Amino acid sequence: MAEKTCPVRKTVIYLSEQISSGYLTDPKGRRISEQILHLTEEIAEGAGGSDHLSAIDSLIEEYFFDTSPVQNVETGNFLKTKIAEHREIFQSHIETKNCPSHDCVKLAPAPCQMACPAGIDIPTYLSLIAEGKDAQAIEVIRRDNPLPWVCGLICTRPCEMMCVRARIDTPVSIKFLKAFAAERAMSDRAYINPEKKDFNGKKVCVVGAGPGGLSAAYYLALMGYGVRVIEDLPVPGGMIMVGIPRYRLPREVIDREVAMIEDLGVEFSYSTRFGKDVTFEQLKKQGYESFFIAIGAHKSWDLGIKGEKDFPKVFDAVKFLKDVALGEHHVPGKHVVVIGGGNVAIDAARTSLRLGAEEVTIAYRRSRTQMPADIEEVEQAEEEGIEFAFLTIPKKVVGKNGIITGLDCIKAELIKKKGSDRLAPVPILGKDFIIKADAVISAIGQYVDDEGMEAFDQMNWTRRGTIEVNHASMETTMPGVFAAGDAVSGPATVIEAIGGGKRAAEAIDRYLNDIPQPRMPKLPIKYNIETSIEMSASRKMTLKHPEMPMLNVDRRRTMFQQVELGYDEESVRREAGRCLRCDICRRCGKCVEICRDKMGIDALKFGYMDFDNPSETDFRATSEKCITCGACAANCENHAIVIEEEDGQRMLKLCGTILNKQDIQYCEECNAILPSIEYLQFIAQKTGKLTKVTENRLLCNACQRKLSAKINVETRPVT
Amino acid sequence: MSKYYLFQDIKKCIGCHACEIQCKSNKNLPIGPKLCQIIQVGPKFINGLPKMSFIFMPCFHCENPWCVSACPTGAMQKRSKDGIVFVDKDLCVGCKTCVSACPWGAPQWNQDTGKVEKCDYCMDRIDQGLDPACVTTCTTGCLQFGNVEETTQIRRERHASAVASLEKSSF
Repeated sequence: MAEKTCPVRKTVIYLSEQISSGYLTDPKGRRISEQILHLTEEIAEGAGGSDHLSAIDSLIEEYFFDTSPVQNVETGNFLKTKIAEHREIFQSHIETKNCPSHDCVKLAPAPCQMACPAGIDIPTYLSLIAEGKDAQAIEVIRRDNPLPWVCGLICTRPCEMMCVRARIDTPVSIKFLKAFAAERAMSDRAYINPEKKDFNGKKVCVVGAGPGGLSAAYYLALMGYGVRVIEDLPVPGGMIMVGIPRYRLPREVIDREVAMIEDLGVEFSYSTRFGKDVTFEQLKKQGYESFFIAIGAHKSWDLGIKGEKDFPKVFDAVKFLKDVALGEHHVPGKHVVVIGGGNVAIDAARTSLRLGAEEVTIAYRRSRTQMPADIEEVEQAEEEGIEFAFLTIPKKVVGKNGIITGLDCIKAELIKKKGSDRLAPVPILGKDFIIKADAVISAIGQYVDDEGMEAFDQMNWTRRGTIEVNHASMETTMPGVFAAGDAVSGPATVIEAIGGGKRAAEAIDRYLNDIPQPRMPKLPIKYNIETSIEMSASRKMTLKHPEMPMLNVDRRRTMFQQVELGYDEESVRREAGRCLRCDICRRCGKCVEICRDKMGIDALKFGYMDFDNPSETDFRATSEKCITCGACAANCENHAIVIEEEDGQRMLKLCGTILNKQDIQYCEECNAILPSIEYLQFIAQKTGKLTKVTENRLLCNACQRKLSAKINVETRPVT
Repeated sequence: MSKYYLFQDIKKCIGCHACEIQCKSNKNLPIGPKLCQIIQVGPKFINGLPKMSFIFMPCFHCENPWCVSACPTGAMQKRSKDGIVFVDKDLCVGCKTCVSACPWGAPQWNQDTGKVEKCDYCMDRIDQGLDPACVTTCTTGCLQFGNVEETTQIRRERHASAVASLEKSSF
């Protein structure tokens, strides 16, 4: 957002000042301002409905009556321009219940949700999973991501990078919990599609059945569009089917989730190349009004080294993985060298191993820490016996008569170059060596295969050979043509493609209904399904991240069986319970400050809340000192930390975690609820010099007043 | 005690609660907190007749207020120039210790703000030379505000006249 302070918050402050300063002398003007203030506050608190903005609009008009004083007109004009300028932000507050500026405190977003390119409401679904409501969790996830099972197994999980729980111990295993819920819901036959709208008579063509295309097709179908997906490959899924090996993502997972999308009436044309088997003109004639391009990045960069083109056993990883995925299980060679350091390189190496290669080496020009591949992938590869040659630059493929004998390499050193944060590998002269090889697989990156895209003649391409789009709407420069996924970003992640596909579906809906496109990217939606997980502080602290059970290494070296076997149900429920619900608590630390600095009690040990200087966190420490005074709760604007009274006990809870429990005292006269003994002792300490507390009767506020009034009557001389 | 005295002439009070209403409206208080309150005592049979009293209960602005000693944040204070006990809302964190410490039930809880409210004799009005809000609206004029020395006079005079006239006496 361009402005520093959120305009919704600004409007609230402006109106409050106008009212309290007495500037608005006209009673009608003040009444209107108070009503607008009330509505704006509701928007800022997430209680705004679809009619709030129009109600504010009509209230603003009321300022301008015939004899309206200048103050009214001024306020009216100010609000009018403010709302016209920031209408989208007001609308976004109402729709998404998220305000990334943190100014509207109740709408402060959870870091995991903001990190997710598809904007899944993670805290909500984790709580649902913790409670065992798998089908409901899947329903929540699919509002933003139609492929929870796929993502549950292979997502790069940017959410876990941001997980606040990592500041206490380790991040919540957000990724896999999704997969468990999806599998369970699917098995229970409770993985169901939401209600779709009736066919609206409009048709959209999706090019590419990868994650981006599937995501767009799903949301378009739900909105009532007729969708046809054109796919070059004979199978759905795009890179998730032919790029990701089966030991990471079983085919059934893709098939079942694609079947859910097919069930919505989406038509799939496999083995159909756009621009060859079916053309833009043909589809236009058939009534397709809008096109969505999600063709991915399926072409590999050449290595650009000598001998690369001279041997049949030098191939690119994308083609290799695709052939294997489509059933051609041939071992590439006995000694395979894979060049590259990304996930594709690891996939190619581990696949070669499973096909029977004796020795597989990954040659990467930088060192281990610079590898773009997932750390877990690298570790799993090492466990399986893949060798790594770091700081290795390939120079030449050597061999004769079309048979490779080795890869000629040169040792590199990492040097910091000007204008780049990344250390650059520079060859060390004379340090040449040969790695024994009879097959070389290059995995140094992919680019977009633009063959067949000629019909989209008004569409601009970037210098990197990707499609140029407006990222808020995924609109290309050609009207009615939208694009997302790797075709736009270059080789990236599944979840980014899914997010892009969803945004594009919304933009296509706007385009076909003549609604202007958004100016700012849409924020993720907080669904506010209030289900904090209640548990004791000890449990919250001692729940540990479970180890992922793995297939034994012998099988992993020989078969394409799924490597990560998944957590059992109990581990899943427990793991989901570790979530701190950052969508409710915005970690402002006010409670900690008040307890420590104002009350002088210092019972709240929430070190994780301080982002810059995190200290120790221990929810269990609270019960040692806490007097359940409730000052923390009284000052928590998000109602994250609360005092609750139940079964004769006063409890302090932070997002469901019971930090302290103390027995409630009762008024001797009327049985009204009184503070705990610990609290009364705290007061006794303070007032000890003046009186002995034990002399007091245990009375509530109202009874104390009554008693002293009575004493007043009785001791007064009768007149 | 503060240097002021808020005198309620119980003889005159009819329990109309106008003082409470004026107090709440002056301080813009929600449902709940009553900074001053009329407490009904009785009815009781005295000499065969039902009698009832209405006692006005504001804060007494104690000499050594327990609420001030109890307050951990220093929000509850005693004004040095005249002894008025008041709460600085900016410092109050809503721990309610003052509410529990006061033997008279004077500090009140404001659910809407999460802070304590308390009778401060309307010190903003006093500083402008005005009377506290409750006093201004008293229908029978039974509430009087002033310096302690002035208000004792009423009781003295009344007592004197009661002694003088036998039929008015309730001895």
